[in-house]
Amino acid sequence: MNKIIEVNGLRKSFGELEAVKGIDFYVEQGSMFAFLGPNGAGKSTTIDMLTTQLEPDGGEASVGGYRLGKEDDGIRSSIGIVFQDSMLDRFLTVKENLFVRGSFYKLTRKELKAAVARAVEVADVSGFLDRPYGKLSGGQRRRADIARALIHAPSVLFLDEPTTGLDPQTRKHVWTTIRQLQKEQGMTIFLTTHYMEEAAQADYITLMDHGQLLAKGTPSELKDRYATDLLKLIPTSPTELAQYLNDRSLPHTVQGGIYLIPLKRTIDALPLIEECKGNITGIEIVSGSLDDVFLNLTGTGMRA
Amino acid sequence: MNVIAARNIKLFFRDRRNVVMSFMSVFIIFGLYILFLGDTLKSGLSDMPGVGFILDSWVMAGILAVTSVTATLGALGIMVEDRTQNILKDFKAAPIKRYDLVGGYLLSAFTIGLLLSLVTFVLAEIYIVLQGGEWLPFAAWIKVIGLILLSVLSSSSIVFFITSLLNSRNSFSTAGTIIGTLIGFLTGIYIPIGSLPEPVQWMIKLFPVSHAGALIRSVMVEQPMQASFTGASTEMVQQFKLEMGVAFQYGSTISSTALSIGVLLGTTVLFYLLSIMVVSKKAR
Repeated sequence: MNKIIEVNGLRKSFGELEAVKGIDFYVEQGSMFAFLGPNGAGKSTTIDMLTTQLEPDGGEASVGGYRLGKEDDGIRSSIGIVFQDSMLDRFLTVKENLFVRGSFYKLTRKELKAAVARAVEVADVSGFLDRPYGKLSGGQRRRADIARALIHAPSVLFLDEPTTGLDPQTRKHVWTTIRQLQKEQGMTIFLTTHYMEEAAQADYITLMDHGQLLAKGTPSELKDRYATDLLKLIPTSPTELAQYLNDRSLPHTVQGGIYLIPLKRTIDALPLIEECKGNITGIEIVSGSLDDVFLNLTGTGMRA
Repeated sequence: MNVIAARNIKLFFRDRRNVVMSFMSVFIIFGLYILFLGDTLKSGLSDMPGVGFILDSWVMAGILAVTSVTATLGALGIMVEDRTQNILKDFKAAPIKRYDLVGGYLLSAFTIGLLLSLVTFVLAEIYIVLQGGEWLPFAAWIKVIGLILLSVLSSSSIVFFITSLLNSRNSFSTAGTIIGTLIGFLTGIYIPIGSLPEPVQWMIKLFPVSHAGALIRSVMVEQPMQASFTGASTEMVQQFKLEMGVAFQYGSTISSTALSIGVLLGTTVLFYLLSIMVVSKKAR
């Protein structure tokens, strides 16, 4: 196991506001790392620090083997960033944009040409290479942004809400590209997202709120730890079911005639169903989701 | 540096609004001049032969000084845009040296300022000739081009300093409006310096761009004045020059070409140093 990003006690304040209060985590090389948290949690501040755009107040970090604050140019050469907002020039074509931004990486003319050609192919932007960036659709822009981030073949790709604001089909396309980069090129993906189905595909999740890390783990670990499964029962005789649950002191809530019984594991539903068989008209077992993890830990919805 | 400068120049010329905005003050001065300022000035000097040629040359010289400011201001608008639209984030996250970036902005501002000034110069000459004046002699063309170079250099330093203090598109457009409105007065173009009250005269004399105006005027009005002032005393010639801001009087001394060139070079150095201070403070 190789840690491509390591963060120890990283801190940042803006005046009175402690945006990041000393966080520790690491990212394994070649993994997809999802960084979650409600708006204002400190995610963007953390990313800005890791990408050398904001100087930390304290703590240490290394990215791609380079120490933050000491070897910033090393970090800058080994990371690619897809920002939340468009960062390319609207009045330049995609190709011109790629050549301008690619020139920042000290490549020879020949290397730059090859690098742009490769980025164009991977991000699949050849269809609109000669069109001005400002005239592209949202999905095309996003792909151009990804191409820009890939020019210098970075070992870590930071993506700040890469699929926000895209239509479902484009979202899927962009997501597929990101997955391919990880799987086929072994690139480490560090992303923030608002979509739980995307976070669920990550290898590792870190959840942040109020400048602190709340939880870390694989999606299934987090679900096991912080989400409860739920049994939903619609009884023929509500009084009889209430009696049964109270006798066994099983906690439950009733919502519109449906009894909601939280469970440690889905399998625990089996004996319960068996015993109440005669009294049931409808059943649903819901296993805990990442949404629940998020909700339980931050007390707010993902879209807050 | 060159790639960034080339990018800025492309961005500037592809967005027509930039070009129009850079020429806005020039259009306004020119418009006012042909509508009524020119007539007012001419009626005050009605007994002078060839007054049209002198005044046309005089106002065009002033316009050239103004262009060096407004064009570089328009060009540096791209720097403000980059900052407000966070495009700068993408630059800062790449291994690019800060001086390459700043140098790129300056180089593009200088190039754009120079290009637009040269275009203005050619159009101004065409206008003068169409109005019955004469072409500048070849040596004077070279002199004016040299002075344009110098004035763009000094104006870009002042404008760069001002824009380095601005953080939003709003403050930039406000600054643009203020500069665009005042510049015609501050360089003594709308009204010749001699007709203004003493305190305003001092503001003009202390404003570096006025010296670019004075230098360019001295070259451009030389030929028409030779025709109009034949037989006139040196005192009369000197009086006219001071009245029209071809030279400035400080107490008992009268500014020379060397002094005005010194003012422009000094401004350039001073404002670049100030800008470097602001920019490096911001980097932290």
